[in-house]
Amino acid sequence: MGEIREFNVMVAGVGGQGILFTTNVIARAALKMGINFVQSEIHGLSQRYGSIRTELRIGSEVHSPLILEGTLDLLIGMEPLETLRQAPYISERTSIVMSDHIIPPISAYLARLRVPSLEEILDDLRSLRPKRLAVVDAYGLAEKAGDYIAANVVILGAAQAIGSLPFPNGVLREAVEELSPARYRDLNLRAYDLGREGVSLPR
Amino acid sequence: MGDLLAPPNTLEVLLGNEAIARGALEGGLNVAAAYPGTPSTEIGEALSKAAKKLGIYFEWSSNEKVAAEVAIGAAWSGLRSMTMMKHVGFNVAADAVFTLTYAGLTGAMVIVSADDPHCHSSQNEQDNRHYSEAAGLPMLEPSNVQEAKDFTKEAMELSHRYKVPFMVRTTTRVNHQRGPVRLGEITAKPSTGVFEPPEPDRYLQVGAIARKHHVELLKKLRDIQEISGSYARIEGPQDAEIGIVTSGVSYAHVRDALRLSGLEAKILKLGMTFPLPERTIGDFLRSINTALIVEELDPFLEIKVRSIAKDYAPDLEVLGKLTGHMPQFHEYTVRTVLEGLSKAFGIRSPIDFAEIDRKSSSILSKVPPRPPILCPACPHRSTGYAMRRAAGRAVFMGDIGCYALLFQQPFRVEHVTHAMGSSIGIANGVSLATQQDVVALIGDSTFFHAGIPALINAVHNGRKILVVIMDNRTTAMTGHQSHPGVPYDALGREAPSVDIEALVKAIGVNYIKIVDPFDHKETEKALREALKSEGVSVVIARRECALLTVRDIRTQGKRIVPYKVNPEKCTYCRVCINTFACPAFVDTGSLVEIDPAVCFGCGACVQVCPYEAIEPQEGSLDWRKEGLGVLAWGR
Repeated sequence: MGEIREFNVMVAGVGGQGILFTTNVIARAALKMGINFVQSEIHGLSQRYGSIRTELRIGSEVHSPLILEGTLDLLIGMEPLETLRQAPYISERTSIVMSDHIIPPISAYLARLRVPSLEEILDDLRSLRPKRLAVVDAYGLAEKAGDYIAANVVILGAAQAIGSLPFPNGVLREAVEELSPARYRDLNLRAYDLGREGVSLPR
Repeated sequence: MGDLLAPPNTLEVLLGNEAIARGALEGGLNVAAAYPGTPSTEIGEALSKAAKKLGIYFEWSSNEKVAAEVAIGAAWSGLRSMTMMKHVGFNVAADAVFTLTYAGLTGAMVIVSADDPHCHSSQNEQDNRHYSEAAGLPMLEPSNVQEAKDFTKEAMELSHRYKVPFMVRTTTRVNHQRGPVRLGEITAKPSTGVFEPPEPDRYLQVGAIARKHHVELLKKLRDIQEISGSYARIEGPQDAEIGIVTSGVSYAHVRDALRLSGLEAKILKLGMTFPLPERTIGDFLRSINTALIVEELDPFLEIKVRSIAKDYAPDLEVLGKLTGHMPQFHEYTVRTVLEGLSKAFGIRSPIDFAEIDRKSSSILSKVPPRPPILCPACPHRSTGYAMRRAAGRAVFMGDIGCYALLFQQPFRVEHVTHAMGSSIGIANGVSLATQQDVVALIGDSTFFHAGIPALINAVHNGRKILVVIMDNRTTAMTGHQSHPGVPYDALGREAPSVDIEALVKAIGVNYIKIVDPFDHKETEKALREALKSEGVSVVIARRECALLTVRDIRTQGKRIVPYKVNPEKCTYCRVCINTFACPAFVDTGSLVEIDPAVCFGCGACVQVCPYEAIEPQEGSLDWRKEGLGVLAWGR
């Protein structure tokens, strides 16, 4: 594998979806490969079921912990609305791997705002001409693996399977194994493998 | 979380806050104390784990001033101490810190101020670099995780050498940055000090003595200024005519922006930003034609660079906030710097931001916002629901904590969120100035922090207010730290808990009632009674944070089984959404459903549906009936 100068990953979703864990796994894989990285996260109040995202910049030439608009290489979308909310970062260099499960914001109901459908979200994402766009039944596969809470690891497996991460399967799978708490280790590995098998590419 | 105790020379992935904790351990830390506050909290979290293994001391104190005083007491007893706080926490600690710089110390002490440009988790974006200058408190500003560790260790050593406290000033993007850190040797160990002032009047700040100590402090600061330049470095082409002066995380944005833009410029990166290395800056300014100052928030460096330029390079053009090239608010990104470079030097941005904004704005207008809200199963939701029903016409003074989110629809029982403990303090003033029903809402941890003096004031001065103490048995918003009301301390040991009810009774409150907020009827009844009673009344709504209950349920190997809406009974009246607004409710357009991926299975919403359409499934728990979240407090 040649030198990676800059590879930008964003994980977006709703607080409580395991976004930080997902990012930490990818960072761990970078460390195992001996590649520099810088990661940015938000803790505290904004975690409480609001929009959250983490940013991970991998490579020899990265300094800022924040990704610049239009320079995203991989977007892991734990939730479709939160994926679309990252539109300014998406460009022709971006691969998107996204859960198909919409979690409507309760505030939208109260303010009587329309929640777009999955098809509409996909159309808008396609209009940004991403390099790849893959949709995963993350919650369905996680339930098959044993528990909803592993949906994040399903997407990680899917992202690796479609070749949108610069790490071999073995390295990423090991990173999942190493970072999982003991009682979730088997669940997460099952979820990771199911994600690798379950990915589909809509066109 | 990274391994805080990994051996020297290893490369360990640490959060900026963990790196600060590790730096303190490498600097020989004996005692640390803090009150949790984003973005500083994880320093204490990391130290609480490390302290147990190393035999050193860490506590979550009742507020930042007490925490600073704990650290001062230890440093005056010859030990090495640290206190950490968010920017607004410094306001609370400031009284003790301003006089500390006059007094100096026997051991060593580091004060970490974690600022929050952009108000990610804060009520303002104050720039605490001013505190450094105002208090005569020398300051180091790390730019990344490696420096977060190195500078904290350095601050401890410098404090020991110069006998003044040192400040490590960070911002959210350094505290919550994660990356590989090359480790040094841990020298922290348990130690017993002796309180023995170096001179008899050293720690006695009365007029005549304080006057003498002020002069001494200014001398110390001049000595420290002599070494300030050793924390600065110059990068980039030597003969560049453009120079950028920067520090902290802004440095990282500048590095990326220069690479992307291809602009030929050199960088003066400062590490110690008070006292500033005047000669280093002056020589740098002499070597260029134009300076751009890149710093978040106030023009702290810019004003000083301008004044240094008058002596060293009077013809130099100094650009920054004062010239309108850089913003004076919110946090910076690489884009902010690129736009500043465009304005200052006319370069074309390598990325067409206008085009990106144009393309994405029509898309973003279709995505409904998702502000933070109370979690599913949060007891505050039930308290807010009961409050709206019982006291709909009252005015509500809120406070700092998750319950601040009750300002939102459909509850709207927070008209004020201001500063720690201000709910009761401001309720004093509003009740005095108006004839309205005044309710103060305050969390348990915030009550211990700054609510008690205001409650005493209300009782003594005969105010009529209702204080609702929303006791979720933890400091929830910052990630579940202990406080004086729980029976365990920051090291996880059993500890005496301060009884809120007994405390309130001793203050002389007329009406006191403890309720389980999940019992909506009882809670509503207590609130109605309390509003009718004379003087100060207190309702303690007590139920542990749902995230702790969920963790308990999972640890016990039980499954969370969500509740379900019976489609035969649901009339789509939307009362559940419109009055209770749990994030697990999904509106299908003809029915309400419960999203099993979001529901924690608490069962509180069962009481809200007028048609009894919300039902348990096989295996569902009923938290109220099974005593979950109200009994298991012995943790």
